[in-house]
Amino acid sequence: MCFPLTTSWRAFHQTPEIYSVELSGTKDIVKTDKGDGKEKYRGLKNNCLELKKKNHTEEFQKELHLDDHKLSNRELEKKYGTDIITGLSSTRAAELLARDGPNSLTPPKQTPEIVKFLKQMVGGFSVLLWVGAFLCWIAFGIEYSSNKSASLNNVYLGSVLVLVVIFTGIFAYYQEAKSTNIMSSFKKMIPQQALVIRDSEKKTIPSEHLVVGDIVEVKGGDQIPADIRVLSSQGCRVDNSSLTGESEPQPRSSEFTHENPLETKNICFYSTTCLEGTVTGMVINTGDRTIIGHIASLASGVGNEKTPIAIEIEHFVHIVAGVAVSIGILFFIIAVSMNYRVLDSIIFLIGIIVANVPEGLLATVTVTLSLTAKRMAKKNCLVKNLEAVETLGSTSIICSDKTGTLTQNRMTVAHLWFDNQIFVADTSENHSNQVFDQSSRTWASLSKIITLCNRAEFKPGQENVPIMKKAVIGDASETALLKFSEVILGDVMAIRKRNRKVAEIPFNSTNKFQLSIHETDDPHDKRFLMVMKGAPERILEKCNTIMINGEEHPLDESTAKAFHTAYMELGGLGERVLGFCHLYLPAHEFPETYKFDTDAMNFPTSNLCFVGLLSMIDPPRSTVPDAVTKCRSAGIKVIMVTGDHPITAKAIAKSVGIISANSETVEDIARRLSIAVEQVNKWDAKAAVVTGMELKDMSSEQVDEILANYQEIVFARTSPQQKLIIVEGCQRQDAVVAVTGDGVNDSPALKKADIGVAMGIAGSDAAKNAADMVLLDDNFASIVTGVEEGRLIFDNLKKTIAYTLTKNIAELCPFLIYIIVGLPLPIGTITILFIDLGTDIIPSIALAYEKAESDIMNRKPRHKKKDRLVNQPLAVYSYLHIGLMQALGAFLVYFTVYAQEGFLPRTLINLRVEWEKDFVNDLEDSYGQEWTRYQRAYLEWTGYTAFFVGILVQQIADLIIRKTRRNSIFQQGAFRNKVIWVGIASQIIIGLVLSYGLGSVTALSFTMLRAQYWFVAVPHAILIWVYDEVRKLFIRLYPGSWWDKNMYY
Amino acid sequence: MRRQLRSRRAPSFPYSYRYRLDDPDEVNQNYLADEEEEAEEEARVTVVPKSEEEEEEEEKEEEEEEEKEEEEGQGQPTGNAWWQKLQIMNEYLWDPERRMFLARTGQSWSLILLIYFFFYASLAAVITLCMYTLFLTISPYIPTFTERVKPPGVMIRPFAHSLNFNFNVSEPDTWQHYVISLNGFLQGYNDSLQEEMNVDCPPGQYFIQDGNEDEDKKACQFKRSFLKNCSGLEDPTFGYSTGQPCILLKMNRVVGFRPELGDPVKVSCKVQRGDENDIRSISYYPESASFDLRYYPYYGKLTHVNYTSPLVAMHFTDVVKNQAVPVQCQLKGKGIINDVINDRFVGRVIFTLNIET
Repeated sequence: MCFPLTTSWRAFHQTPEIYSVELSGTKDIVKTDKGDGKEKYRGLKNNCLELKKKNHTEEFQKELHLDDHKLSNRELEKKYGTDIITGLSSTRAAELLARDGPNSLTPPKQTPEIVKFLKQMVGGFSVLLWVGAFLCWIAFGIEYSSNKSASLNNVYLGSVLVLVVIFTGIFAYYQEAKSTNIMSSFKKMIPQQALVIRDSEKKTIPSEHLVVGDIVEVKGGDQIPADIRVLSSQGCRVDNSSLTGESEPQPRSSEFTHENPLETKNICFYSTTCLEGTVTGMVINTGDRTIIGHIASLASGVGNEKTPIAIEIEHFVHIVAGVAVSIGILFFIIAVSMNYRVLDSIIFLIGIIVANVPEGLLATVTVTLSLTAKRMAKKNCLVKNLEAVETLGSTSIICSDKTGTLTQNRMTVAHLWFDNQIFVADTSENHSNQVFDQSSRTWASLSKIITLCNRAEFKPGQENVPIMKKAVIGDASETALLKFSEVILGDVMAIRKRNRKVAEIPFNSTNKFQLSIHETDDPHDKRFLMVMKGAPERILEKCNTIMINGEEHPLDESTAKAFHTAYMELGGLGERVLGFCHLYLPAHEFPETYKFDTDAMNFPTSNLCFVGLLSMIDPPRSTVPDAVTKCRSAGIKVIMVTGDHPITAKAIAKSVGIISANSETVEDIARRLSIAVEQVNKWDAKAAVVTGMELKDMSSEQVDEILANYQEIVFARTSPQQKLIIVEGCQRQDAVVAVTGDGVNDSPALKKADIGVAMGIAGSDAAKNAADMVLLDDNFASIVTGVEEGRLIFDNLKKTIAYTLTKNIAELCPFLIYIIVGLPLPIGTITILFIDLGTDIIPSIALAYEKAESDIMNRKPRHKKKDRLVNQPLAVYSYLHIGLMQALGAFLVYFTVYAQEGFLPRTLINLRVEWEKDFVNDLEDSYGQEWTRYQRAYLEWTGYTAFFVGILVQQIADLIIRKTRRNSIFQQGAFRNKVIWVGIASQIIIGLVLSYGLGSVTALSFTMLRAQYWFVAVPHAILIWVYDEVRKLFIRLYPGSWWDKNMYY
Repeated sequence: MRRQLRSRRAPSFPYSYRYRLDDPDEVNQNYLADEEEEAEEEARVTVVPKSEEEEEEEEKEEEEEEEKEEEEGQGQPTGNAWWQKLQIMNEYLWDPERRMFLARTGQSWSLILLIYFFFYASLAAVITLCMYTLFLTISPYIPTFTERVKPPGVMIRPFAHSLNFNFNVSEPDTWQHYVISLNGFLQGYNDSLQEEMNVDCPPGQYFIQDGNEDEDKKACQFKRSFLKNCSGLEDPTFGYSTGQPCILLKMNRVVGFRPELGDPVKVSCKVQRGDENDIRSISYYPESASFDLRYYPYYGKLTHVNYTSPLVAMHFTDVVKNQAVPVQCQLKGKGIINDVINDRFVGRVIFTLNIET
């Protein structure tokens, strides 16, 4: 049965069936393969997801018929035309290889570099500039066709514009390429060689050449080369973490144990690792048809969402381009109707476009983002996609994986129960602080059992490695116990040597216990010590006494009750509980020479002495609770999405604060009030634990409801598709969703998320590939740093854009005045480019170094649709307030220069036509002096330079006021951001160089300006600063007022 | 499932772990969760309809006015994207419900217009103040700096948009406009006018008039008759009818300009490129071919009202006919610059004569 989430009939039939393979944490201790397992996974098996892409659904369809685990060896041989003993023939293998293609995953499609480059060339404002350039050339062409001696100015201007586009394009491309860390994808996961039986011979071939029907042998430490059906195995265990995210070793044998191919023991999956033992199997799927291949294609089928900052920048580009084009066209029409030649009007249009387009801004934004990316990389956040830098800042929901991200991803002893008491063990990363009472003699016995009844060993040659970091041969629980005892007791291996092991029954799923018999280290004590550990109730069954304070007491009702209470309490913490017991075998019955036979069981396994319980958990990382609190205060909802069990998930969620201490789930309320769950008003609960099975039956509206109404949510036992559903649900809430994860199973969700965060150490390549950001230290706390940086960069980008937009008005007004009033052109197009791409670049980057104005981690994440990067107040304030003041200031410098040279303002009005006539060489000024054309041109350039200097001086004031949006400059500290002053210095130096250094280069139309003109605009600059301080003062004084709403950007 | 529901009705047992020991196979408590979940699931389904209603109500209450627009837009099916956009646009332009134009009510508009009015009024005041201050520092009589207009440029008359003198002696139509232009230009030089307006100051020395800069200054006479044959008094066609054109050369006025060291500036013309003999003779009027010192310095338009720019007339009495002759007339004198590459009108003027017969 299949329950598609939509009612689409097509989806019903074409949806893939991908199974969750999250397993219960105890597979290595107790394996339950009873029939009820079927019921348990029923839900997951039926996961349905309507995929939008048809081709993917078609591919998945094939997967529906994976039933190889149910077939017998003979049927398998028949199905794949192979022979278990002799393998395929080489010719047959070659045929199959030709048919199915190599056994490798198709790497995700990469955008060709040239396409990326061209995108930079035509993206953003580039189109406008291209249009401008072509208009220039067309204008020249028309002029040239009528007059062979037409000036080349337009050609130059067009070329300059093209150069600007190309350079900014190359720059952006370079920045993007530098910081985009394209990791070679799934290829790394493929084992290089595979041992295969073909033509009755064992051969080593590249695993790419494997075909279905091949018989392969895999030994411990190898990666599984394809999806294989196990034919025989010796003690094989596999690590399915690359598939499921949970690194619990799972046994593999040839028995068919489960309907679900993902649950059955007799199938090993491509790209997982064989931890120990050997396995012989038949290849049943290769390459993209493997389970991992499916998940990988699921990931690539999920479209890349546009990053919020990309949307914001697009929005901004639209605004500016809209303003530029509409003003341009408006004035084109005005110019034409004022009887200007069409050609001239086109030139005006170009001027207006150039003035309006902040040519340098996109490059600045790129630099700013990459600066932040660098800063974040230092803090262990590696950003793969530059724009993702900001995304984390606008994140409103973090969907975090549990294992490895929130937890340390290793079993650790958390609690002990002995002497009727629960003791807490230190679960921090280094175990340094074990404070529980170790004086009890019960502890002595318990520790002996823990030490001896354990097969795990440290790998040799790690003497200098801290205990907790030592590599261990053995499963997770035994490793935990080994490390625990090593920390507390010292050299475990020496203790084991002193207590020589004489017999051992390893753990198996029928016994559900592990037993070993040792000589004691007391030379006078000739008795053997039998130690046993296992499932607590099994152990308790075998005991008739219990050790309390070192004394054996008969196991009566009350002690049994105490045991149950403790067991439940520990279990309720989501911990895996083990029981420990021992027995000193009487020396007379079991003399020193006694031969123990583990098959015949010639020793007692009942009436033992129960010593204690010990519980283990994958503990949360120590930094996580703090990080979660910070996320909370930053208004970010942290949702746990895990494949693990609800109880464990909830326990971890509680311990890290995802479910806060005082919030309850519906079940908690029900239990507190002792009423049925149905009777609880479910919106009373603040927290919710939702399982994959519940999720699969929910409509998307119900998912939305849960996401919207619960503050604290844990999703447990979820499949990769369900992670996707959750992410999509969050995105429907208009949330910006960050997803953290490490497994291949996470990769679709990572891709779908607005920002996917992969774990750098534990993360699979698939996850890293799908992610936008990689946490190098696997630490959830690094995300908080990322959020902080992301928010800061958003604020600072606002400042940068406000700074850059302001001068556009000062650059635009001259053209408008020139057209309407007929003044000699106050500023040339080239000069504008020198401002946009010269003096303004470093200051606008410097704003990226600005510190936060207030605690940005205490405010809510921005609303995707309401808190725009460029909003109305920003545009209005920049254009109509500061921009206009700047224009006035710059005009003042211009008028001063002209007036002092002889042209008083009133003379200038409507002078444009005469002024620009080449043959008028005796144009009279206000004093009756006569000017040649070139003298006027030179004066015009002086005017350009003056206007340039006017803007420059006021841009310094603009830069200073943009440091803050709300606080006074004095609150922010005028000198805290040194880079701002570097920016100001650069501005002045570039201005000086242009005026005095390059003043003699005619083409640049700069002249040497008298020193005093640099100071004409200074009062205006001060005025701008004062005005902005007043604005900020009112904003601070009257928050929420009309002023605040209209003047705060 | 049935078993679980039943057990739920046994509240005496601690909720979560009730099966721990019931089922000997289930050692780990985690397994319990699944069963539990199924029960929860059921519970949730039964509660859903009620809660949905509640939630909707809540949402409505919470919905802020501002959000309305957006949500309405989102609520509609995606098929009508354009229609939707149009509607939103329309609503943005004029929202009848809230009487808002461009997302502002009338009150809001009047407030914002008022504020902008005051803001711009004060900006206007500021710029007026600045301009006023600027004018305070600038003398209306004498320009602050004259270095851009120095060295003086040179212009010729007649001038009709072009420096190419192409005319056919036998076709008066081709040169008549030169004559008209010259006549017009020389009206201000008429002897009667000059004698009436200006003083006859001593030649060969600067006509320096001390006194405040705002005092009116006298101007020296430059009579039309100084130009002799080129004055148009004797030959009303200025020689154009005979193929001997007169061209007047005028030095651009520059306030305070004085030829250095009392040496008057001379004018000399020659063929710019080509055979020097293309111009066999030129007569200059005044005969000195120079601008007399008495016309300097110039005190500016405001006080030096009747200042008459001195002229030098070049009479090209014998120029090769029927071919273009490029002529360059330069100013010569101490401190005179006549070879600026970029400016071909500083200290020199280049024109072509193409006289056809």
